[in-house]
Formats: sequence, structure tokens, C-alpha cells
Amino acid sequence: MTREAYHKALKEVQDEVQQMAVMVGAAVKDSMEALKSRDMEKSKKIVKNDIQINQKRFDIEERCIRLIATQQPMAVDLRTLAAIINIITDLERIGDHAEGIAKISVAIGDAPLVKPLIDMPKMADKGLSMLQRCMKAFVDRDIETAKKICNEDDEVDALYDAIYNELVMMMVNDPKIIKDATYLIWGAHNLERIADRVTNIAERVVYMVTGKMEEMNVSKY
Amino acid sequence: MNDKVKIKDLNFYYGTKQALKNINLSVREKEITALIGPSGCGKTTFLRCVNRMHDLYPGNRYEGEIILDGRNILEKGLDLIKLRSKVGMVFQKPTPFPMSIYENVAFGLKLMGIKKKKEISLRVEKALKDSALWDEIKDRLNEPALSLSGGQQQRLCIARAVAVEPEVILMDEPCSALDPVATAKIEDLMTDLKKTYTVVIVTHNMQQAARVSEFTGFFMMGEMIEFDYTQKIFTAPSNKLTEDYITGRFG
Repeated sequence: MTREAYHKALKEVQDEVQQMAVMVGAAVKDSMEALKSRDMEKSKKIVKNDIQINQKRFDIEERCIRLIATQQPMAVDLRTLAAIINIITDLERIGDHAEGIAKISVAIGDAPLVKPLIDMPKMADKGLSMLQRCMKAFVDRDIETAKKICNEDDEVDALYDAIYNELVMMMVNDPKIIKDATYLIWGAHNLERIADRVTNIAERVVYMVTGKMEEMNVSKY
Repeated sequence: MNDKVKIKDLNFYYGTKQALKNINLSVREKEITALIGPSGCGKTTFLRCVNRMHDLYPGNRYEGEIILDGRNILEKGLDLIKLRSKVGMVFQKPTPFPMSIYENVAFGLKLMGIKKKKEISLRVEKALKDSALWDEIKDRLNEPALSLSGGQQQRLCIARAVAVEPEVILMDEPCSALDPVATAKIEDLMTDLKKTYTVVIVTHNMQQAARVSEFTGFFMMGEMIEFDYTQKIFTAPSNKLTEDYITGRFG
């Protein structure tokens, strides 16, 4: 009764999830670079391309639903598909956060940045590193790494706090910059949410392997 | 929830061949317990121990205990007719007797020595109602049982089992010869039956086990590998062998 076609289809869905994570990771990286280098064309392209990430999510979700309907997956297979449906939702939202950063870049336009971007690229790098390792943990069924990643969210939260406090102080001192400083706070907030989404994915990896649903690290925000 | 049947260190042999190895299991009262596993794993052999069906053939041997309501039913000298009226059985293929619908259900009652026609008639009606068959056949009780559809025949067999008011009903693949609509009717019926009876079902259809039962036991090569809440078995089983079987990685 080994079900080769079914298991091949399950494997393909997991490959698709990895591809989606690569697309999403690239969008985050590009959005940060474009904001930093004030590359308007690049930012606009990220906004435009978000639709591809959304479509990918729908495609994967449909494949999962089709497998559930036609193959009646059970146990680890059922948990994997349930996890994937949640994971792609978080990946799609990470894509939206990248789009949000790109939109902020477009909204700032030609105005100079109110401060050089130092901590925001750090947040992006940290978030991306968490995402990449989390997706590897997904492939490797590695719950230790997944749990560890959840704890790293605090570092991103701390960076966000620092950026927020610095920008608020700057706005107090110079109200003329309120608009552009607020844009940067929004940008940082998008980055903070990306790390939160990665912890959600890590929780789903743990569920997929153990069958236990547990909150690993509750975000401060 | 009480344990209706308690199986302790059960071994069973077809002659010299051991078919069940050290089975320990508790069947909860008024719940449905499903037994799953690959062909030849021992699940039907196990089921047939519970009403001593194996005694019909020479050379079969039991070891251990099957405690039904505090009494070991494997002990020598047990009245098997009485046991089988307490522990009814429904088989894979519908097995109506070549007689009328009414007579099929009345058969067991007469065997029990009930003579009053009125009582028999009332109990036949009740059993047919309990088996969700009454409305379909109440005007044709004297027609041959073999004129019924497969699904109706199977429900008739359930009525025949239920008529003698057993406490435990054993079902050996009761839906494997039925179409999906008839299967759904039997599954609905099982949910009704468990209000009154303790049900043990052997099934090859894992979705059926998942749909109808509260507890599931996974058998393999004569051993019970895992026994747990059905929900647990089908979402996060503890044993790798169970997981591999229910996800189709072997079997």
C-alpha cells in the first residue's frame, strides 16, 4: 500500500514552500537595500512583484486542499499540510511587510533620510537569517533550531525599541521631520513584524514534527 | 467510563502457529473501539477471540484472559451460546439466513427460548428500528431477506445481533462489501448503537476508523503496536510503525 504518487506530491508541495520562502526573502532583502540606496525603481518593482508572492501562496494552498480532498492524509502528513497552510500565510504576510517597506521608500521620495540607516539593515539581516534557518529547520524537521529561532525574536524587538526611541527623540527635537521619521518607524515596524512571522513559522515546524501546538515566544508588540 | 472487556496477556494459536502475541487492551463500555492493521496482522483473529468463535474449529488455543464484566470468558465450561448472545457479531459479507426478513430477526430470540409471539414481534420491531431498517421494510417483513440490497442485508444482520440484546457487538469489516451510501448509513447506525452497546470494529478503511471510533488499536504481525484515542492515533501517533502504516509508507 505504499503510496508513491501521493508522497511525491507531498514532497513537491514542500519544495514549493521553499521556493516561496526564497521569493519572500529576496523581497525583504531588496526592499531594505532599495530604501537604503534610495532606489525608487527597485522599490516600485517590489511593490509590483508582491502579486507573484500572493499567487504562489494561493497555488500552494490549492495543492494542499487538493491533497487533503483526494488523499485523506493522516498523522505526520496531515500535520505537514496543516503546517504548510499556516506557513504560507505567514510567508505571504512577510512579503506584504517587504512591500510595505518598499511603499515607504516610494512615499519618502526624493527627500533625504532623516538619519542614516544602521539598525534597520541589522533588523532585516537578522530577520532574513531567522527565516532562512527556519526554512532549513522545516526541511530537516529540526525542532531544536526552530525553538532557538523563536528566542531570537527578542533581539529584533530590542533593535526596534532602539530605533523607535531614537526617532521619537529626534521628532521631539525637530518637529519638521515628523512625517519622514514616522515613515521610518513604520519601516522598522514592518521589520519587527517579519521576525514575529518567522517565529510563527518556527512554531508550525515544531507542530509538524511533534503534533504539539505551543507558543514559543510571545512578541512584545 | 468503565472497561467493558479487559484483555490480559492474550496469546492465540492456530494449531502450532501463534497468531496473537501478548495482547493487553481495555475496551471501554458504550464506546466504539476500532482495530486497524495490515492484512494478516491478527485483528480479525483478535475479534473472534472475544466471542470464542475460534472454538468452532479444532486445534485452536487461547492463553491469557478476556474479562467480560468481571468474568474470564476463556475459562473452560463456559456456556458459549450464552456468551455469544452477550457478545454479538456482524461479519464482512452480509449473512442473512435464507428465510423471511422477520424470521431472520426472530431466529435468535427463538433460539433463546422465547415462545410468546407477541414478545417476539415487539422485539423484532425494536431491533429493526434500532438498526435503522424498519421504515424501509416494515411492509415487507415476510419477503425473503435475500431480496434486500447489500446495505439493507447488513443492517438486517445488525438487527439480528441486536435483537437478542447483547452487550458487546463485534463488527468485522461490516462495510467492506457496501457502497458509500450504505456505508454512511451503517456508520450513522454505529453512532446510535453505542448509546446502548459496546462496539468493537475491525476495518481496513482508516477513514472509517477515524470517523466512527473513540479508540483505535493498531495491530501488526499478531501484536498490538499502539492503542490510544482515535484522534491521537490519526493526528500524532506515538509509534513510528503506526505512523508509517497510516500514512501509507508500508503495508
